[in-house]
Amino acid sequence: MTIPSDDQSLPTFDPTSIERPDESLVRYYGLVSLLSGPFFPFAFIPLYLKYMTLRYKFDDSGVSMSWGILFRREIHLTYRRIQDIHLTRNIVQRWMGLATVAIQTASGSSGPEMSIEGVLRADELRDYLYRQMRGARGESEPTMTGSIQVIPSDDPLTLLREIRDLLQEKCSSDGRAS
Amino acid sequence: MSVRVEQASKWIYAGVWGILSRWFRVPEHPPALPSSSGTSVESFKPAIGFLKYLKFQFWVGLFAIDLTIFVVELIILVNAPTMGLLLLVPALFFAIVPDVIIYLAIHLRYDTTWYVLSDRSLRIRRSIWIIHETTITFENVQNVSVHQGPLQRWYGIANVSIETAGGGGQQSHGEGNPWQTSHCGLIEGVADAHRIRELIMSRLKQSRSAGLGDEELTPARSGWTSEQIATLREIRDLIATS
Repeated sequence: MTIPSDDQSLPTFDPTSIERPDESLVRYYGLVSLLSGPFFPFAFIPLYLKYMTLRYKFDDSGVSMSWGILFRREIHLTYRRIQDIHLTRNIVQRWMGLATVAIQTASGSSGPEMSIEGVLRADELRDYLYRQMRGARGESEPTMTGSIQVIPSDDPLTLLREIRDLLQEKCSSDGRAS
Repeated sequence: MSVRVEQASKWIYAGVWGILSRWFRVPEHPPALPSSSGTSVESFKPAIGFLKYLKFQFWVGLFAIDLTIFVVELIILVNAPTMGLLLLVPALFFAIVPDVIIYLAIHLRYDTTWYVLSDRSLRIRRSIWIIHETTITFENVQNVSVHQGPLQRWYGIANVSIETAGGGGQQSHGEGNPWQTSHCGLIEGVADAHRIRELIMSRLKQSRSAGLGDEELTPARSGWTSEQIATLREIRDLIATS
Protein backbone atom coordinates (compact mmCIF):
# COMPACT_ATOMS: atom_id res chain seq x y z
CA MET A 1 0.00 0.00 0.00
CA THR A 2 1.42 3.36 -0.99
CA ILE A 3 1.59 6.09 1.57
CA PRO A 4 -0.73 8.96 0.63
CA SER A 5 1.84 11.69 1.27
CA ASP A 6 4.16 10.04 -1.25
CA ASP A 7 1.47 10.06 -3.86
CA GLN A 8 1.17 13.80 -3.94
CA SER A 9 4.84 14.36 -4.62
CA LEU A 10 4.88 11.87 -7.47
CA PRO A 11 4.37 13.13 -11.00
CA THR A 12 1.18 12.08 -12.74
CA PHE A 13 1.15 8.51 -13.84
CA ASP A 14 1.90 7.99 -17.50
CA PRO A 15 1.76 4.35 -18.57
CA THR A 16 3.10 5.10 -22.04
CA SER A 17 6.45 5.83 -20.42
CA ILE A 18 6.69 2.30 -19.02
CA GLU A 19 8.97 0.21 -21.18
CA ARG A 20 11.09 -1.83 -18.81
CA PRO A 21 10.16 -3.48 -15.52
CA ASP A 22 11.57 -1.91 -12.39
CA GLU A 23 14.91 -3.06 -11.02
CA SER A 24 13.27 -4.41 -7.89
CA LEU A 25 11.68 -7.13 -10.02
CA VAL A 26 15.05 -8.84 -10.41
CA ARG A 27 15.52 -8.76 -6.63
CA TYR A 28 12.06 -10.25 -6.25
CA TYR A 29 12.91 -12.98 -8.76
CA GLY A 30 16.10 -13.65 -6.80
CA LEU A 31 14.17 -14.06 -3.56
CA VAL A 32 11.61 -16.32 -5.21
CA SER A 33 14.37 -18.45 -6.71
CA LEU A 34 15.98 -18.82 -3.28
CA LEU A 35 12.92 -20.81 -2.24
CA SER A 36 13.99 -23.59 -4.58
CA GLY A 37 17.14 -24.09 -2.45
CA PRO A 38 19.88 -25.99 -4.24
CA PHE A 39 18.13 -25.51 -7.57
CA PHE A 40 18.54 -21.77 -7.29
CA PRO A 41 20.45 -21.32 -10.59
CA PHE A 42 17.90 -23.33 -12.53
CA ALA A 43 15.11 -21.18 -11.19
CA PHE A 44 16.90 -17.86 -11.32
CA ILE A 45 18.53 -17.92 -14.77
CA PRO A 46 15.28 -18.17 -16.78
CA LEU A 47 13.69 -15.50 -14.60
CA TYR A 48 16.75 -13.27 -14.97
CA LEU A 49 16.67 -13.65 -18.74
CA LYS A 50 12.97 -12.86 -18.69
CA TYR A 51 13.68 -9.74 -16.68
CA MET A 52 16.47 -8.67 -19.06
CA THR A 53 14.36 -9.06 -22.20
CA LEU A 54 11.00 -7.93 -20.84
CA ARG A 55 9.57 -4.98 -22.73
CA TYR A 56 6.22 -3.26 -22.30
CA LYS A 57 4.46 -0.94 -24.66
CA PHE A 58 1.30 0.89 -23.71
CA ASP A 59 -0.36 2.86 -26.48
CA ASP A 60 -3.75 4.42 -27.07
CA SER A 61 -5.56 1.27 -28.04
CA GLY A 62 -3.76 -1.58 -26.38
CA VAL A 63 -0.82 -3.00 -24.55
CA SER A 64 1.88 -5.36 -25.71
CA MET A 65 4.63 -7.16 -23.88
CA SER A 66 7.47 -9.31 -25.16
CA TRP A 67 10.23 -11.36 -23.59
CA GLY A 68 12.52 -14.30 -24.20
CA ILE A 69 15.85 -15.00 -25.85
CA LEU A 70 15.62 -18.45 -27.37
CA PHE A 71 11.86 -18.67 -27.43
CA ARG A 72 10.44 -15.23 -27.89
CA ARG A 73 6.94 -14.43 -26.77
CA GLU A 74 4.93 -11.39 -27.67
CA ILE A 75 1.43 -10.68 -26.44
CA HIS A 76 -0.76 -7.92 -27.75
CA LEU A 77 -4.18 -7.09 -26.52
CA THR A 78 -6.52 -4.17 -26.85
CA TYR A 79 -7.98 -2.41 -23.84
CA ARG A 80 -11.53 -2.86 -25.10
CA ARG A 81 -11.22 -6.64 -24.95
CA ILE A 82 -10.20 -6.81 -21.31
CA GLN A 83 -12.68 -8.85 -19.29
CA ASP A 84 -11.31 -8.69 -15.79
CA ILE A 85 -8.24 -7.26 -14.12
CA HIS A 86 -6.64 -9.00 -11.17
CA LEU A 87 -4.16 -7.24 -8.95
CA THR A 88 -2.21 -9.69 -6.83
CA ARG A 89 0.41 -8.89 -4.23
CA ASN A 90 2.04 -11.50 -2.10
CA ILE A 91 3.87 -10.52 1.02
CA VAL A 92 7.32 -10.23 -0.60
CA GLN A 93 5.85 -8.11 -3.39
CA ARG A 94 4.22 -5.84 -0.81
CA TRP A 95 7.53 -5.33 0.95
CA MET A 96 9.20 -4.42 -2.32
CA GLY A 97 6.32 -2.31 -3.59
CA LEU A 98 5.67 -4.62 -6.50
CA ALA A 99 2.49 -6.25 -7.77
CA THR A 100 1.26 -8.52 -10.51
CA VAL A 101 -1.45 -7.06 -12.71
CA ALA A 102 -3.08 -9.95 -14.53
CA ILE A 103 -5.34 -9.15 -17.45
CA GLN A 104 -7.91 -11.57 -18.76
CA THR A 105 -9.75 -11.60 -22.04
CA ALA A 106 -12.62 -13.86 -23.01
CA SER A 107 -10.40 -16.69 -24.22
CA GLY A 108 -10.74 -20.29 -23.18
CA SER A 109 -7.80 -20.47 -20.84
CA SER A 110 -8.35 -20.15 -17.14
CA GLY A 111 -5.04 -18.39 -16.63
CA PRO A 112 -4.53 -14.74 -17.38
CA GLU A 113 -3.54 -13.73 -20.89
CA MET A 114 -1.05 -11.19 -19.68
CA SER A 115 0.67 -10.72 -16.33
CA ILE A 116 2.32 -7.37 -15.97
CA GLU A 117 5.04 -7.62 -13.37
CA GLY A 118 7.52 -5.13 -12.06
CA VAL A 119 5.46 -1.96 -12.31
CA LEU A 120 5.90 0.13 -9.19
CA ARG A 121 2.67 2.09 -9.33
CA ALA A 122 0.50 -0.92 -9.99
CA ASP A 123 -2.62 0.61 -8.44
CA GLU A 124 -2.50 3.47 -10.87
CA LEU A 125 -1.75 1.15 -13.77
CA ARG A 126 -4.74 -0.95 -12.80
CA ASP A 127 -6.98 2.08 -12.63
CA TYR A 128 -5.63 3.28 -15.98
CA LEU A 129 -6.46 -0.09 -17.55
CA TYR A 130 -9.83 -0.04 -15.82
CA ARG A 131 -10.69 3.30 -17.33
CA GLN A 132 -9.83 1.98 -20.80
CA MET A 133 -11.98 -1.09 -20.30
CA ARG A 134 -15.30 -1.65 -21.96
CA GLY A 135 -18.11 -0.24 -19.89
CA ALA A 136 -16.00 1.82 -17.53
CA ARG A 137 -16.72 5.18 -19.09
CA GLY A 138 -20.28 4.83 -20.24
CA GLU A 139 -19.34 5.14 -23.88
CA SER A 140 -20.49 1.68 -24.71
CA GLU A 141 -23.68 2.93 -26.28
CA PRO A 142 -23.05 3.73 -29.92
CA THR A 143 -23.39 7.50 -30.06
CA MET A 144 -24.94 8.83 -33.23
CA THR A 145 -23.41 12.09 -34.39
CA GLY A 146 -26.37 14.41 -34.49
CA SER A 147 -29.61 12.55 -34.14
CA ILE A 148 -31.30 12.13 -37.49
CA GLN A 149 -34.76 13.50 -37.88
CA VAL A 150 -36.66 10.67 -39.43
CA ILE A 151 -38.21 12.23 -42.49
CA PRO A 152 -39.26 9.63 -45.07
CA SER A 153 -37.47 11.50 -47.83
CA ASP A 154 -34.26 11.42 -45.82
CA ASP A 155 -34.01 7.67 -45.99
CA PRO A 156 -30.65 7.02 -47.69
CA LEU A 157 -32.12 4.38 -49.98
CA THR A 158 -34.84 6.74 -51.22
CA LEU A 159 -32.28 9.44 -51.75
CA LEU A 160 -29.97 7.12 -53.68
CA ARG A 161 -32.89 5.87 -55.79
CA GLU A 162 -33.88 9.44 -56.60
CA ILE A 163 -30.30 10.20 -57.61
CA ARG A 164 -30.22 7.10 -59.81
CA ASP A 165 -33.51 8.01 -61.46
CA LEU A 166 -32.41 11.58 -62.02
CA LEU A 167 -29.11 10.43 -63.52
CA GLN A 168 -30.95 7.94 -65.73
CA GLU A 169 -33.27 10.66 -66.94
CA LYS A 170 -30.34 12.96 -67.62
CA CYS A 171 -28.34 10.31 -69.48
CA SER A 172 -31.27 9.39 -71.70
CA SER A 173 -32.04 13.03 -72.47
CA ASP A 174 -28.34 13.70 -73.19
CA GLY A 175 -28.25 10.67 -75.49
CA ARG A 176 -31.27 11.96 -77.40
CA ALA A 177 -29.80 15.45 -77.67
CA SER A 178 -26.54 14.28 -79.27
CA MET B 1 -14.52 -12.19 33.99
CA SER B 2 -15.99 -12.53 30.53
CA VAL B 3 -15.75 -8.75 30.05
CA ARG B 4 -12.04 -8.95 30.80
CA VAL B 5 -11.58 -11.82 28.40
CA GLU B 6 -13.39 -9.84 25.76
CA GLN B 7 -11.26 -6.78 26.42
CA ALA B 8 -8.06 -8.82 26.30
CA SER B 9 -9.02 -10.54 23.09
CA LYS B 10 -9.80 -7.14 21.58
CA TRP B 11 -6.34 -5.91 22.53
CA ILE B 12 -4.68 -9.01 21.16
CA TYR B 13 -6.63 -8.68 17.94
CA ALA B 14 -5.75 -5.00 17.60
CA GLY B 15 -2.10 -5.93 18.18
CA VAL B 16 -2.22 -8.58 15.46
CA TRP B 17 -3.79 -6.05 13.13
CA GLY B 18 -1.09 -3.52 13.94
CA ILE B 19 1.63 -6.03 13.09
CA LEU B 20 -0.14 -7.04 9.90
CA SER B 21 -0.68 -3.53 8.65
CA ARG B 22 2.75 -2.24 9.62
CA TRP B 23 5.04 -5.13 8.78
CA PHE B 24 3.03 -7.17 6.36
CA ARG B 25 1.53 -4.15 4.61
CA VAL B 26 -2.04 -5.36 4.84
CA PRO B 27 -4.24 -2.42 3.83
CA GLU B 28 -6.77 -1.43 6.48
CA HIS B 29 -9.15 0.48 4.24
CA PRO B 30 -11.45 -0.85 1.54
CA PRO B 31 -10.07 -0.63 -1.99
CA ALA B 32 -10.88 2.50 -3.94
CA LEU B 33 -12.72 2.31 -7.21
CA PRO B 34 -12.61 5.22 -9.62
CA SER B 35 -16.08 6.29 -10.60
CA SER B 36 -17.66 9.08 -12.52
CA SER B 37 -18.53 12.06 -10.38
CA GLY B 38 -21.95 12.17 -8.79
CA THR B 39 -22.32 8.42 -8.47
CA SER B 40 -21.97 6.59 -5.23
CA VAL B 41 -19.51 3.82 -4.52
CA GLU B 42 -20.74 1.25 -2.05
CA SER B 43 -18.17 -0.79 -0.15
CA PHE B 44 -19.14 -3.50 2.26
CA LYS B 45 -17.92 -6.59 4.06
CA PRO B 46 -19.60 -9.97 4.22
CA ALA B 47 -22.56 -10.17 6.60
CA ILE B 48 -21.98 -11.00 10.26
CA GLY B 49 -23.71 -14.31 9.54
CA PHE B 50 -20.72 -15.25 7.40
CA LEU B 51 -18.44 -14.97 10.44
CA LYS B 52 -20.80 -17.17 12.44
CA TYR B 53 -20.97 -19.63 9.55
CA LEU B 54 -17.17 -19.87 9.39
CA LYS B 55 -17.00 -20.25 13.17
CA PHE B 56 -19.58 -23.02 13.13
CA GLN B 57 -17.50 -24.91 10.59
CA PHE B 58 -14.47 -24.21 12.78
CA TRP B 59 -16.12 -25.64 15.91
CA VAL B 60 -17.26 -28.76 14.07
CA GLY B 61 -13.76 -29.31 12.70
CA LEU B 62 -12.19 -28.57 16.09
CA PHE B 63 -14.46 -31.05 17.83
CA ALA B 64 -13.70 -33.80 15.31
CA ILE B 65 -9.93 -33.33 15.35
CA ASP B 66 -9.58 -32.81 19.10
CA LEU B 67 -11.78 -35.83 19.79
CA THR B 68 -9.52 -37.96 17.58
CA ILE B 69 -6.40 -36.66 19.35
CA PHE B 70 -8.01 -37.29 22.76
CA VAL B 71 -9.08 -40.85 21.91
CA VAL B 72 -5.68 -41.79 20.43
CA GLU B 73 -3.89 -40.26 23.42
CA LEU B 74 -6.16 -42.17 25.82
CA ILE B 75 -5.52 -45.49 24.05
CA ILE B 76 -1.74 -44.93 24.17
CA LEU B 77 -1.93 -43.83 27.80
CA VAL B 78 -3.78 -47.01 28.78
CA ASN B 79 -1.58 -49.41 26.82
CA ALA B 80 1.83 -47.75 27.27
CA PRO B 81 1.76 -45.26 30.18
CA THR B 82 5.33 -43.89 29.78
CA MET B 83 4.90 -43.39 26.05
CA GLY B 84 1.53 -41.77 26.71
CA LEU B 85 2.99 -39.32 29.23
CA LEU B 86 5.74 -38.36 26.78
CA LEU B 87 3.17 -37.76 24.06
CA LEU B 88 0.91 -35.71 26.35
CA VAL B 89 2.68 -32.42 25.65
CA PRO B 90 2.72 -32.69 21.81
CA ALA B 91 -0.86 -33.93 21.89
CA LEU B 92 -1.97 -30.89 23.88
CA PHE B 93 0.06 -28.68 21.55
CA PHE B 94 -1.61 -30.06 18.44
CA ALA B 95 -5.00 -29.89 20.11
CA ILE B 96 -4.75 -26.21 21.08
CA VAL B 97 -2.28 -24.20 19.01
CA PRO B 98 -3.69 -24.75 15.49
CA ASP B 99 -7.18 -23.93 16.78
CA VAL B 100 -6.08 -20.55 18.10
CA ILE B 101 -4.35 -19.74 14.82
CA ILE B 102 -7.32 -20.83 12.75
CA TYR B 103 -9.73 -18.88 14.95
CA LEU B 104 -7.62 -15.77 14.46
CA ALA B 105 -7.37 -16.45 10.74
CA ILE B 106 -11.16 -16.62 10.44
CA HIS B 107 -11.48 -13.17 11.99
CA LEU B 108 -8.72 -11.80 9.79
CA ARG B 109 -10.27 -13.33 6.70
CA TYR B 110 -13.57 -11.70 7.59
CA ASP B 111 -11.97 -8.33 8.19
CA THR B 112 -9.85 -8.31 5.04
CA THR B 113 -12.62 -9.22 2.63
CA TRP B 114 -14.08 -6.20 0.90
CA TYR B 115 -16.60 -5.79 -1.86
CA VAL B 116 -16.90 -2.50 -3.68
CA LEU B 117 -19.73 -1.75 -6.07
CA SER B 118 -19.96 1.32 -8.24
CA ASP B 119 -22.51 2.05 -10.92
CA ARG B 120 -20.26 0.54 -13.59
CA SER B 121 -18.08 -2.05 -11.98
CA LEU B 122 -17.23 -4.09 -8.93
CA ARG B 123 -14.00 -4.75 -7.13
CA ILE B 124 -13.36 -7.61 -4.74
CA ARG B 125 -10.43 -7.85 -2.37
CA ARG B 126 -9.65 -10.90 -0.31
CA SER B 127 -6.94 -12.81 1.50
CA ILE B 128 -4.07 -11.73 3.73
CA TRP B 129 -0.83 -13.27 2.54
CA ILE B 130 -1.50 -12.96 -1.15
CA ILE B 131 -3.86 -10.04 -1.48
CA HIS B 132 -6.00 -10.54 -4.52
CA GLU B 133 -8.08 -7.78 -6.06
CA THR B 134 -10.44 -8.44 -8.93
CA THR B 135 -12.04 -5.73 -11.03
CA ILE B 136 -14.92 -6.46 -13.39
CA THR B 137 -17.08 -4.00 -15.29
CA PHE B 138 -20.77 -4.88 -15.49
CA GLU B 139 -20.53 -4.52 -19.25
CA ASN B 140 -18.48 -7.73 -19.35
CA VAL B 141 -20.69 -9.79 -17.05
CA GLN B 142 -22.30 -12.82 -18.68
CA ASN B 143 -24.36 -14.25 -15.86
CA VAL B 144 -24.95 -13.79 -12.17
CA SER B 145 -25.78 -16.76 -9.97
CA VAL B 146 -26.67 -17.11 -6.31
CA HIS B 147 -25.65 -20.19 -4.31
CA GLN B 148 -26.88 -21.10 -0.85
CA GLY B 149 -26.31 -24.24 1.16
CA PRO B 150 -28.51 -25.41 4.03
CA LEU B 151 -26.09 -24.13 6.67
CA GLN B 152 -25.75 -20.84 4.86
CA ARG B 153 -29.53 -20.53 4.79
CA TRP B 154 -29.59 -21.06 8.57
CA TYR B 155 -27.25 -18.11 8.95
CA GLY B 156 -29.11 -16.10 6.33
CA ILE B 157 -26.23 -15.68 3.93
CA ALA B 158 -25.56 -16.63 0.31
CA ASN B 159 -22.81 -16.45 -2.26
CA VAL B 160 -23.23 -14.39 -5.41
CA SER B 161 -20.93 -15.31 -8.26
CA ILE B 162 -20.53 -12.94 -11.16
CA GLU B 163 -19.14 -14.62 -14.23
CA THR B 164 -17.52 -13.13 -17.28
CA ALA B 165 -16.86 -14.78 -20.62
CA GLY B 166 -14.09 -17.30 -21.04
CA GLY B 167 -13.21 -20.76 -19.84
CA GLY B 168 -12.10 -21.46 -16.36
CA GLY B 169 -11.94 -25.22 -16.21
CA GLN B 170 -13.87 -26.83 -13.41
CA GLN B 171 -13.63 -23.89 -11.10
CA SER B 172 -15.91 -21.61 -13.01
CA HIS B 173 -19.09 -22.18 -11.05
CA GLY B 174 -18.33 -20.57 -7.77
CA GLU B 175 -17.09 -23.79 -6.26
CA GLY B 176 -13.47 -24.72 -5.89
CA ASN B 177 -10.96 -22.23 -4.69
CA PRO B 178 -12.65 -18.86 -5.06
CA TRP B 179 -9.51 -16.75 -5.10
CA GLN B 180 -7.97 -18.75 -7.90
CA THR B 181 -11.06 -18.77 -10.01
CA SER B 182 -10.65 -16.63 -13.04
CA HIS B 183 -13.41 -15.16 -15.12
CA CYS B 184 -15.50 -15.04 -11.98
CA GLY B 185 -16.01 -12.65 -9.13
CA LEU B 186 -17.33 -14.31 -5.99
CA ILE B 187 -19.19 -12.21 -3.45
CA GLU B 188 -19.18 -14.56 -0.51
CA GLY B 189 -21.44 -14.59 2.52
CA VAL B 190 -23.74 -11.61 2.03
CA ALA B 191 -27.11 -11.29 3.68
CA ASP B 192 -28.79 -9.41 0.84
CA ALA B 193 -27.70 -11.61 -2.07
CA HIS B 194 -30.90 -11.02 -3.99
CA ARG B 195 -30.57 -7.26 -3.72
CA ILE B 196 -27.04 -7.47 -5.10
CA ARG B 197 -28.14 -9.76 -7.88
CA GLU B 198 -31.00 -7.44 -8.80
CA LEU B 199 -28.65 -4.47 -8.64
CA ILE B 200 -26.20 -6.05 -11.07
CA MET B 201 -28.92 -7.43 -13.34
CA SER B 202 -30.64 -4.05 -13.55
CA ARG B 203 -27.35 -2.49 -14.58
CA LEU B 204 -26.83 -5.23 -17.12
CA LYS B 205 -30.24 -4.54 -18.60
CA GLN B 206 -29.59 -0.83 -18.79
CA SER B 207 -26.66 -1.34 -21.09
CA ARG B 208 -27.57 -2.68 -24.50
CA SER B 209 -24.19 -4.12 -25.36
CA ALA B 210 -23.42 -5.98 -22.13
CA GLY B 211 -21.97 -9.43 -22.49
CA LEU B 212 -20.96 -11.09 -25.71
CA GLY B 213 -24.30 -11.95 -27.30
CA ASP B 214 -26.25 -10.08 -29.94
CA GLU B 215 -27.12 -6.56 -29.08
CA GLU B 216 -30.73 -6.15 -28.21
CA LEU B 217 -33.09 -5.23 -30.97
CA THR B 218 -33.52 -1.51 -31.19
CA PRO B 219 -35.79 0.49 -33.50
CA ALA B 220 -34.39 0.21 -37.02
CA ARG B 221 -31.85 2.89 -37.56
CA SER B 222 -29.77 3.49 -40.62
CA GLY B 223 -26.04 3.48 -40.17
CA TRP B 224 -25.82 6.83 -41.93
CA THR B 225 -24.90 9.99 -40.18
CA SER B 226 -26.83 13.18 -40.75
CA GLU B 227 -23.85 14.66 -42.58
CA GLN B 228 -23.83 11.81 -45.08
CA ILE B 229 -27.54 12.14 -45.68
CA ALA B 230 -27.20 15.88 -46.11
CA THR B 231 -24.50 15.29 -48.74
CA LEU B 232 -26.69 12.78 -50.56
CA ARG B 233 -29.52 15.28 -50.54
CA GLU B 234 -27.21 17.92 -51.99
CA ILE B 235 -26.15 15.56 -54.80
CA ARG B 236 -29.78 14.85 -55.61
CA ASP B 237 -30.65 18.51 -55.68
CA LEU B 238 -27.62 19.31 -57.83
CA ILE B 239 -28.56 16.72 -60.44
CA ALA B 240 -32.18 17.81 -60.35
CA THR B 241 -31.36 21.51 -60.93
CA SER B 242 -28.58 21.10 -63.50
